[in-house]
Amino acid sequence: MAQQPSPRAGLIDMGDTTTFFRDTRHEPHRRATAEAPWVRRLLITGALSFLGIFLGMPLVSVFAEGLKKGLGFNFHTFLDPQTLSAIKLTFIVAGISVPLNCVFGVAAAWAITKFDFRGKNLLITLIDLPFSVSPVIAGLIYVLLFGAPGPFGTWLSDHNLKIIFAVPGIVLATTFVTFPFVARELIPLMQAQGRTEEEAARVLGASGWQTFWRVTLPNIKWGLLYGVILCNARAMGEFGAVSVVSSHIRGETITIPLQIEILYNDYNTAGAFALASLLAFLGLVTLVLKTWIERKKAAALRAAEMDLIT
Amino acid sequence: MSVEVRNITKRFGKFTALDNLNLKIESGELVALLGPSGSGKTTLLRIIAGLEFPDPGAGQVLFYGEEVTNLPASERKAGFAFQHYALFRHLNVFENIAFGLRVLPRSKRPKEPEIRERVEKLLKLIQLDAHGKRFPTQLSGGQRQRVALARALAVGPKVLLLDEPFGALDAKVRKELRRWLRQLHEEIHVTTLFVTHDREEALEVAGRVAVLRDGRIEQVGTPEEIYDRPASAFVYDFLGNVNLFHGQPHGGSVKIGDTEYAVTEKGGPLETPAVAFVRPHDIRISREPGGHATLAARVIRCNTAGPSAHLELRRLDNDGWFEVQLSKEQFNELQLNTGDQVYVELRNVRVFPEDYSI
Repeated sequence: MAQQPSPRAGLIDMGDTTTFFRDTRHEPHRRATAEAPWVRRLLITGALSFLGIFLGMPLVSVFAEGLKKGLGFNFHTFLDPQTLSAIKLTFIVAGISVPLNCVFGVAAAWAITKFDFRGKNLLITLIDLPFSVSPVIAGLIYVLLFGAPGPFGTWLSDHNLKIIFAVPGIVLATTFVTFPFVARELIPLMQAQGRTEEEAARVLGASGWQTFWRVTLPNIKWGLLYGVILCNARAMGEFGAVSVVSSHIRGETITIPLQIEILYNDYNTAGAFALASLLAFLGLVTLVLKTWIERKKAAALRAAEMDLIT
Repeated sequence: MSVEVRNITKRFGKFTALDNLNLKIESGELVALLGPSGSGKTTLLRIIAGLEFPDPGAGQVLFYGEEVTNLPASERKAGFAFQHYALFRHLNVFENIAFGLRVLPRSKRPKEPEIRERVEKLLKLIQLDAHGKRFPTQLSGGQRQRVALARALAVGPKVLLLDEPFGALDAKVRKELRRWLRQLHEEIHVTTLFVTHDREEALEVAGRVAVLRDGRIEQVGTPEEIYDRPASAFVYDFLGNVNLFHGQPHGGSVKIGDTEYAVTEKGGPLETPAVAFVRPHDIRISREPGGHATLAARVIRCNTAGPSAHLELRRLDNDGWFEVQLSKEQFNELQLNTGDQVYVELRNVRVFPEDYSI
């Protein structure tokens, strides 16, 4: 039997990789790219005030306004039957469109990164379409398709099916708008991971499903979760597309963002802000989750790249 | 016959990776596929594994006489080790090795204790019995490659296919793993085919070597046959340092400078202008002309680092440049210095037609 490769070899390996990721932040020397102190201070002040005015202040004011009348008032607002139904509908819509986009996104990313086929670039462009098209247009597309004058309009009304100006339309529009999030998140990750692990699994006798469940999915789980969270945030907050396909029937086809608009237009500013603070709070929770998962995902990506280096 | 490929052709767009290639591998053999990058060796290995398929209708792959050309990789029962190991990064070493057993259909899948036993045995074989719980990122390159080999062996493959198995390792680990692979093969005797671009690796490890060039097999033979009797100028050149002397052959000899050299073995017809190939260690040097030492040359560089002395010489008649390898003793006897004029004798001259350029 041969000897073990000397432990030194491993040490050298590790040495190389640590050098590769060497942290230079705490080095005492002034870097060549650094500016004079007064320039730095000016730029930092400018950036911070911009951030404060455009991001910090609105966020603070939403919560300040929303909590002005106390938490009790907030709960009172939320328990109003119309608002409650808006909250319920928002969760239903997100609950349908997010899982759909999760499945579509994984399937699209899997096809794009693990196989070569004609029209691949077209598919990548199509996935980006909802990002480049205004949500209002997205809503309008469905009105034109499924509305009364559209190609399916007559058939739908003959069979007494209502898509536009009803819940199915809201789900469709939301799904369209949030389509790219999962796929966009997964494609770079899966590209970095390559196909060899899947090939290894196939040679070892795994079927396509086994390869997906046992090899691909565990490798992309953090990226997938990240995409799902972004997708969910957008699904709950979407206004434009939903507004076009909703018939604005209070208590029936109103989601949280639409309900905020209604409350605001009814001069119920306090109620609008209370509901807005709920939506903003959900957004913040998303952000915290996102940051936590981002770290996990970065670790997975780094591991994928390290594999290629060593 | 354990693996046979017949008339395989594979094109990627306009590039022909494999061109009507044939190869037979006996049961229990350890065969190296040797060739420069782009010669098609990895493509051939992947076709045998079922990771690529030959062009429709262009060729067959047979395992033990049974055609597997159109079988997917998952049904071929070939073991494959990738150049960059391709270990499952989310599974520990133990589960990596057990993977092939766990994905077997329920009827064929061994019971848990049996899986455990087989994996433990393989862990011992690759001398990583204490590392079963580690993850691939916690292992060195050499350890990862051994895990990859154990994982491939776990399913009891009909044939073991290794793609540049030592390519990503540093020189020292590489040497140890080569020796380990040879011993492993002697122990378990599974038919093994490995791809390499390193001639030393091929000659040292393999029982038989197939040299590939531009998607075709240039020569197949034992390392000795390949090295001592290369079938073409390409093989001759690919297997080691070589000096070229252009000359006009006639009959059984070739004229280089003013001297006729007997041709040891000819690689083709000898009417056209030809190139004589001589290995650096087949050149004798003397200080005085005489006997066969008639080609005058000047020493332009001496390198004595290493076990033998390497000289660079320039011909006096046409400025042709060549290398000579001498033992340290010979070098010391001759007391050579840069700038000295010497006379050289060429031995084991082999002649190939001049259409091949290095």
